[in-house]
Amino acid sequence: MAKTFKFEIVTPEKVVYSDSVQSISADGTEGAFGVLADHAPLITELRTSILTVNDANNKTVQFALDGGFLEVIANNVIVLTDACVAEGEVNVEKTRADKESAEKTLSSGGSAEEKEKAQVNLKRANTWLKLVNK
Amino acid sequence: MLSTREIKQRIRSITSIKQITRAMEMVAASRLKRVEFRVIASRTYTEKMHQVLSRLISCRPPEISHPLFTDEGHKAGNVKIVLITGDKGLCGAYNNNIIKKTVEFIRENASKKVKLILLGKKGNIYFSKGNFVYAKERYIPEPVEKFGYNKVQTLAAQLVAGYEEGEFGELHIFFTKFNTVMQSFPTSIRLLPLEKDMFDLKGKSVGEYIIEPSADQILEHLFPKYIETQLYQCILESLTSEFAARRVAMIAATENAGEMIDELTRSYNKARQEAITKELLEVISGAEALIQG
Repeated sequence: MAKTFKFEIVTPEKVVYSDSVQSISADGTEGAFGVLADHAPLITELRTSILTVNDANNKTVQFALDGGFLEVIANNVIVLTDACVAEGEVNVEKTRADKESAEKTLSSGGSAEEKEKAQVNLKRANTWLKLVNK
Repeated sequence: MLSTREIKQRIRSITSIKQITRAMEMVAASRLKRVEFRVIASRTYTEKMHQVLSRLISCRPPEISHPLFTDEGHKAGNVKIVLITGDKGLCGAYNNNIIKKTVEFIRENASKKVKLILLGKKGNIYFSKGNFVYAKERYIPEPVEKFGYNKVQTLAAQLVAGYEEGEFGELHIFFTKFNTVMQSFPTSIRLLPLEKDMFDLKGKSVGEYIIEPSADQILEHLFPKYIETQLYQCILESLTSEFAARRVAMIAATENAGEMIDELTRSYNKARQEAITKELLEVISGAEALIQG
């Protein structure tokens, strides 16, 4: 069996995932990358994207992240993010509604601040939906 | 001495008070449980964030030029405080303690211009009248319990922006730190400017990191995030303390009501007994008078 390391996803609301895993692949601001056991210490920022985990039993689990940071240190990997959902946890209807309202804000034109916020919300909703549709 | 009827009435009213306090205790207990989960989860996040930040700072050159670290160019006399209180009373000294602490701070820093941002109705009521009205800046009319992470983000963003513009030189948070159900502490922390000591690893260096894109760019995003999580943590701590305090207060109230009922029942029995004795005496003495006559 391949060597494993400890992996955690933590949001302000809860610890979403905490287990030993074989590998993860994530989408950093500088491009996609993978982490295996004994990876060099690393700190990086993540995009609003999908993160794939290959756990100790070789099962693949996917999560949608709302940006965040990833740290690798001595076979401990931590992801800190504002929000994170697993495949089965996406509330499709609500996400669609969020998406629509964000699109509305973008097309109707509001203040720059509102638009920026809508852009973030839209991106998140799209990532959430991507996780469900694959 | 009260009449038996009056005592009975009292017993009835206290019994219904007892029912109410017990119900309130149970409500507080269930809410406490819910918010306790949140505070523990958030503590994990805050701690991890702090660790990551400390390690990141430790592998950078000692001078940090980030705007959140310096109070240069700020109106040094301006101090901003976020005061977190409860929306409701009936929770022992919870609201009073933290308000008292804030008032002390304002008194001690009379030379500075202290401005309060109030979260929680009770704080607003206190600072809307009386000697310290001048310190109130604004009230956030939102129930503390509904003040979720996204709202904290908005507030934190406003505060950070205000600080970066030099509008104020210090940011403090006054909140109640939750320890156990029986114990919580009115606490204040200074959030801004940040200090390097706050992120000291105490000699536990971690060696070289690969940092992408660059330490400065990550810090740029991580610092505001850190302020957010601290603020969120403080709000949750306060909320948990409030429910704990309310639960304790209601348990005490229920117990007291029970004791009072016991006492009243005793004096009711006494009064009843006395009335019977008196009546008997009257009957007997009446009868004796008849015999003698």
